Amino acid sequence: MTDLLKTGLHAEHLALNAKMAPFAGFDMPLQYSSVKEEIIAVRENVGVFDVSHMGEFFVEGEEAVKFIDYMLTNDFAGAEVAKAVYSPLCRENGTIIDDLIAYKLENNKVLICVNAANIEKDYSWFEKHVTDFNCTLSNHSNNYQLLALQGPKSEAILKECGVYPEGDFVYYSAKEFQSPLGTVILARTGYTGEDGFEIFGNLELIQALWKKFMELGVTPCGLAARDVLRLEVAYPLYGHELSDDWTPLDAALAWTVKKDKEVFIGKEFLEDYKPKYRLIKLSLEKGIPREGFEVLDSNHEIIGKITSGTMSVTLGKGVGLALIEKAKFPKDKVFKIQVRKNIIDAEFHTKAFVSGGHK
Amino acid sequence: MASQIPNNLKYTKDHEWALIEGDVVTVGITDFAQSQLGDVVFVELPEVGTALGKGDSFGVVESIKSVSDLYSPVAGEVIEKNDDLEASPENCNESPYESWMIKVKLTGQEGIDELLSPEDYAGACEE
Repeated sequence: MTDLLKTGLHAEHLALNAKMAPFAGFDMPLQYSSVKEEIIAVRENVGVFDVSHMGEFFVEGEEAVKFIDYMLTNDFAGAEVAKAVYSPLCRENGTIIDDLIAYKLENNKVLICVNAANIEKDYSWFEKHVTDFNCTLSNHSNNYQLLALQGPKSEAILKECGVYPEGDFVYYSAKEFQSPLGTVILARTGYTGEDGFEIFGNLELIQALWKKFMELGVTPCGLAARDVLRLEVAYPLYGHELSDDWTPLDAALAWTVKKDKEVFIGKEFLEDYKPKYRLIKLSLEKGIPREGFEVLDSNHEIIGKITSGTMSVTLGKGVGLALIEKAKFPKDKVFKIQVRKNIIDAEFHTKAFVSGGHK
Repeated sequence: MASQIPNNLKYTKDHEWALIEGDVVTVGITDFAQSQLGDVVFVELPEVGTALGKGDSFGVVESIKSVSDLYSPVAGEVIEKNDDLEASPENCNESPYESWMIKVKLTGQEGIDELLSPEDYAGACEE
């Protein structure tokens, strides 16, 4: 076994007695106190996640925005300065390399934050294409630590720490500025559906901020709570709902594919593509859908599989996302899930299981 | 913190406890098991009348993020199951030794001799 990587807060996690687990090559905190309490803290109060395992790339130069707009399916050129854009990163054949957030810090400076497991794959994809543009690409994944402060009280906490920019800072804003603790890149983004922030900084700044958060009573939260929180608001996770084998149009991400953009990688294919799959939301009154469980129609024919499932702490029932073969999508919208030996009626949801409070 | 291991019970390496009363064995999960699992949110138990061999999976106990099989430490027929755990799975965390799962009427002695004493189980928890 190769040695696991550690984030800059590894010692703090051990000191808090976190249950640790390997994730994308890192030794990461899975939970601290109880997953349930961590989830409730984020929905009702405020929690903080160490997500320093994620990757950070910078693109700088005259054509930085043009380059990123070409690489992403979503509209990046049209976004204002100091805004973030969520997007899939696709191949020419429409399949998904990763999903990411691109932050337009300046017209000639873009930060890209990618999934930890895909850092090398993404970087080589960007590297392959950047040569055609007048800009530079650099991988700063080892220079930046990343905290996600999430929950209705996160703005108040950041203000108390003095780490808050002047002026409006609405949902999906992103800004690099000097704080009393040092240079910080702050974005009003997250993966929980609640109002919250992602804070990029160097080791000293992030360690100091973590310490302040602990003093102010922010609940430290692990990857287990993070996964439940994102599932409750039906956000996709790469490797589950998104993969190298299908397109954003198969995975409920049509809103992130701007086919009317002049040019982007995958445009020609995606313009004419008829999705093979449909990503849907199902819940169970009794029992918990788990990844890999089969989804059946009213005739008990297998029509798809659960891609992620969990107990929703907020709803008090089992919830899951499922990838359904589009040709087999039942008109009567009757879905059943094979839970071990039993076939159980599922409820079909058109909206997210939980509506987060983000602004 | 050391977990509780009552003296009147027998144990398995899978972290289940067994109370033997004549030819009826009551089965649950230990304090150590519940602390490792974290918040128990769902318990699935077999129907009364189910025949179990020693080592058969008789149900599952689920935390928010994980599913763990429950294994019968003995061979027999399920004569009772604890329906209260369906409505209140958190009882497994709060009082693991009161939160029995099934009662099995033995159909043989298979497995009985392999059950661990409290002392041996305490050792198994430290491994």
